[in-house]
Amino acid sequence: MPYHEFECSTCIPERKKHAVVKGPGETLADALPLGYLNTIPGTISERGCAYCGAKHVIGTPMKDVIHISHGPVGCTYDTWQTKRYISDNDNFQLKYTFATDVKEKHIVFGAEKLLKQNIIEAFKAHPTIKRMTIYQTCATALIGDDIDAIAQEVMEELPDVDIFVCNSPGFAGPSQSGGHHKINIAWIKNKVGTVEPEITSDYVINYVGEYNIQGDQEVMQDFFKRMGIQILSTFTGNGSYDDLRAMHKAHLNVLECARSAEYICNELRVKYGIPRLDIDGFGFEPLGNSLRKVGLFFGIEDRAQAIIDEETARWKPELDWYKARLMHKKVCLWPGGSKLWHWANVIHEEMGVDVVSVYTKFGHQGDMEKGIARCEQGALAIDDPNELESVEAMYKLKPDIIFTGKRPGEVAKKIRVPYLNAHAYHNGPWKGYEGWVRFARDIYNGIYSPIHELSKLDISKDEIPTDKGFVTQRMLSDANLPDEVRNDPNLRQYTGKYDMLAALRGKTYPAFEQHTPKEAAA
Amino acid sequence: MHCELKEKDRIGTINPIFTCQPAGAQYASIGIKECIGIVHGGQGCVMFVRLLISQHLKESFEIASSSVHEDGAVFGALDRVEQAVDVLLMRYPHVKVVPIISTCSTEVIGDDIDGVVRKLNEELLPEKYPGREVHLIPIHTPSFVGSMVTGYDVAVRDFVKYFAEKGEPNGKLNLITGWVNPGDVKALKHLLAEMDIQANVLFEIESFDSPLMPDGNFVSHGSTTIEDLKRTGSASATLALNRYEGGQAAKYLENEFGQPTIVGPTPIGIRNTDTFLANLKKLTGKPIPHSLVVERGIAIDALTDLTHMFLADKRVAIYGNPDLVIGLAEFCLDLEMKPVLLLLGDDNANYGDDPRIQAMQQNVDYPMEIITNADLWDLEDRVKNQGLELDLILGHSKGRFAAMECNVPMVRVGFPTYDRAGLYRYPVVGYEGATWLAEQMANTLFTDMEYKKNKEWVLNVW
Amino acid sequence: MSEVKTERIEQMIDYIMKKCLWQFQSRAWDRRDQNLGVLSKTTQILCGEHVELETPADRCYWVDAVCLAEAYRERLPWLAALSVPEIKDLMQGLHERLDFLTIDGSLNEELTDQMY
Repeated sequence: MPYHEFECSTCIPERKKHAVVKGPGETLADALPLGYLNTIPGTISERGCAYCGAKHVIGTPMKDVIHISHGPVGCTYDTWQTKRYISDNDNFQLKYTFATDVKEKHIVFGAEKLLKQNIIEAFKAHPTIKRMTIYQTCATALIGDDIDAIAQEVMEELPDVDIFVCNSPGFAGPSQSGGHHKINIAWIKNKVGTVEPEITSDYVINYVGEYNIQGDQEVMQDFFKRMGIQILSTFTGNGSYDDLRAMHKAHLNVLECARSAEYICNELRVKYGIPRLDIDGFGFEPLGNSLRKVGLFFGIEDRAQAIIDEETARWKPELDWYKARLMHKKVCLWPGGSKLWHWANVIHEEMGVDVVSVYTKFGHQGDMEKGIARCEQGALAIDDPNELESVEAMYKLKPDIIFTGKRPGEVAKKIRVPYLNAHAYHNGPWKGYEGWVRFARDIYNGIYSPIHELSKLDISKDEIPTDKGFVTQRMLSDANLPDEVRNDPNLRQYTGKYDMLAALRGKTYPAFEQHTPKEAAA
Repeated sequence: MHCELKEKDRIGTINPIFTCQPAGAQYASIGIKECIGIVHGGQGCVMFVRLLISQHLKESFEIASSSVHEDGAVFGALDRVEQAVDVLLMRYPHVKVVPIISTCSTEVIGDDIDGVVRKLNEELLPEKYPGREVHLIPIHTPSFVGSMVTGYDVAVRDFVKYFAEKGEPNGKLNLITGWVNPGDVKALKHLLAEMDIQANVLFEIESFDSPLMPDGNFVSHGSTTIEDLKRTGSASATLALNRYEGGQAAKYLENEFGQPTIVGPTPIGIRNTDTFLANLKKLTGKPIPHSLVVERGIAIDALTDLTHMFLADKRVAIYGNPDLVIGLAEFCLDLEMKPVLLLLGDDNANYGDDPRIQAMQQNVDYPMEIITNADLWDLEDRVKNQGLELDLILGHSKGRFAAMECNVPMVRVGFPTYDRAGLYRYPVVGYEGATWLAEQMANTLFTDMEYKKNKEWVLNVW
Repeated sequence: MSEVKTERIEQMIDYIMKKCLWQFQSRAWDRRDQNLGVLSKTTQILCGEHVELETPADRCYWVDAVCLAEAYRERLPWLAALSVPEIKDLMQGLHERLDFLTIDGSLNEELTDQMY
């Protein structure tokens, strides 16, 4: 029986087909959890809403935009400052959030006038920002405000501003994924093709489905720049509104988080013939393959290989130091959507850990196909998990660490399982070669925390070890390592800085000769 | 008049101070034992509020959603409430209290949560759960009315209204704390114990500073029981510390059960703590013991070290929950400081009737603004663009960027304070809270002096 | 199908499943194009044949094919001993198996959704 039934969920038979154990000899054609279905009310699911999927996940990483939510103030407040998507313009999008502050009288009499005043006020408060995204919320969707009409009206009155409207109220879909879809489609429909970009390279990509969590985008951007590739736009981390209006002029869409952003790549392929290349920015081998593929596409694979060789030589000894100490540690890989498949295989191969479970809060069956395909046998895969099921799974699987969100992380803490933040990271970035070592370092620090070790001791029952005044992670991790591994002179711990982005931001890049004349390129 | 009370002069909100009503109801609900609330609306209304409270307390706890999706928004979603109650009761056999908390979407579509509760009480509960004690309590918290503060107030009132029973007088005092931290509850219980007063604390959330135990205990919860809530009706008296958070419940108890009732003032600072003890004495007849004279003396001693030398004339902006902001402003005035800007994040029309605000309007002798319906741009804009000079900001973590943009040091206080470690553990109320607050302010100013090289040498000798 | 062939196909499938993403696009028609595009070009590379690179789409299939062919050559020592017709036959079997796992036998209910 490949489907896994949780004891805590026997009373809700609808859950029966949402979890699968990857059994011996079984394939995706034998069992696949259901996915992206309406949530069962009252289960204490971890899902968010379609508004947050649009505004919080995809919209707000755009850095040079006034992000205004049309509704009561709570949606704005609650989704403000709960992510670590930074930008190289001093984090305007993190620092400022805007709400039209819909009150009861507006619900009764309409809030369109209020919206218009808000738009004008917001531009006035931030005169250097000329771009805006308006997000519909449950309340304003239900009262039927015509946001598009108001935006149009303002754009006619203020010709130097441009406004994007995203109609994705919280109830629009089973989870935040509904919002990812809506904002993808709205952007390509309304904004792509409205700006003609300056083409500065023969090799032009959109980098899609990358949100610059703790600087991931900037790390990857560094590789592309070293290859002489022009990143026309990033959808959407550290991304610029007008750059994203010019997505139609790229030669290739390089897609990272297919869960949240494959829609726009698919549409760009249909409408403009731009191919979609799915890549993995996590892990040495997958990242290397990804850079090579992008290089091959443009006939500059030698430039990719140079980066791979340099970075691997620099960082592999550090990754392997951690791998030697993380072998067969049990991991629950419990992120939101894409990381279950980005990480499932490569953390096993490159860090030596065993993924005993994957789950996805808002993924679709396609994400489960990828995730299960990349897991080893025996892994438990759960769709739309709820609190009791997660706890049951943790008690059963006894993981050494889990990668999940902040609040479920607090649940794990209490049953003495260390956690790393899979969405916002602990000490990222985790993409790129150095980033991947940082991830390994964070896992190592989590698993071999001396305080974590102390949490297991019951001073009223257990014998208290009184022979030590302290323990280091190294004393714990190396206790049972063979000498040749422990003292391997070729391996070393992470040697990077706390903030690895500062060095990237001031960096200059070699100028590559452009063969295509500018006019022709444009 | 130097102190001006006025509404924000913009219509929209840039960087809000408060979230909306359902969040307040959710915060109240987690104070009750064997209680899991169901928020009737989109999933974000729960998921983000849980995250917010969880970031503040560094704990997890349970709140459910009715998960309203598109079909429910179009055709009505009461069936989602019915299913949510059933699923929750099946899987959480210990749960006895289930508030049904409405949101903007379900209020706009007009879902009758009172009706569905009646229906569940008549059908589901007797048929499927005979003999099980279950209390379903509709709580109306449309997000477009009030703020998280009123949401908390409404929820406390509705819980008390639902449970309070007239019984044999139990001699206990109802102490309605308002929206406070575990550390505040602990400090209040300490003062009550010193006074030898038996009290029913609403809500008993001290346990949210919960241990990580070797045998595992995966969820934190409040400790106020159904019995505690029932007994509020037979208490000897009621003391609500906060006018805007629990004030309605106190009024209800006064009117319904004829209990002697006092609302406020928030016991922040020495003077308000003195008043709190005087009120306790008045309501219970218990004397103020010598131990508290000593405790007060320790606090006064500590404050005396700070006031004229360091705190005097320091210009302060304060934002957050109204009782907290007003209490902090009063305390700052006692400390010789100058609160120049108070930001109250909702449009409560009754702020002008608050005697504490009226007293400031009558007595403050320097320019001071109290802005209602305020946002954090009211702070940042004044400093960056209008020349407001500040030495210190008191407020919650959502203002962290405003403080950094203004280059003004900030003491985290209120809810939420997720960007500083362990603040939920420390009280701002009582003598202990007064000392902690003053010393936090002083130490924050000291650090700032050193980093800005602003008379940092002063501290060479102190 | 011989046991050896089945076993070899499973090894090849295992690599695709664990290391590749191109086979898992969201709709059946895309998966069919992707499987055909990448695997036909992989076959051409493995057989030393000319690979069409006319369109951007061709190039995109080709880059995945280059990496797949390289990985197979590196990881599957028996591959070097196969003749061109044997490789073609094997790749045909692989293609059928992959189409089954990702399209025709897939339990993914979204594959037939007409919209993205």
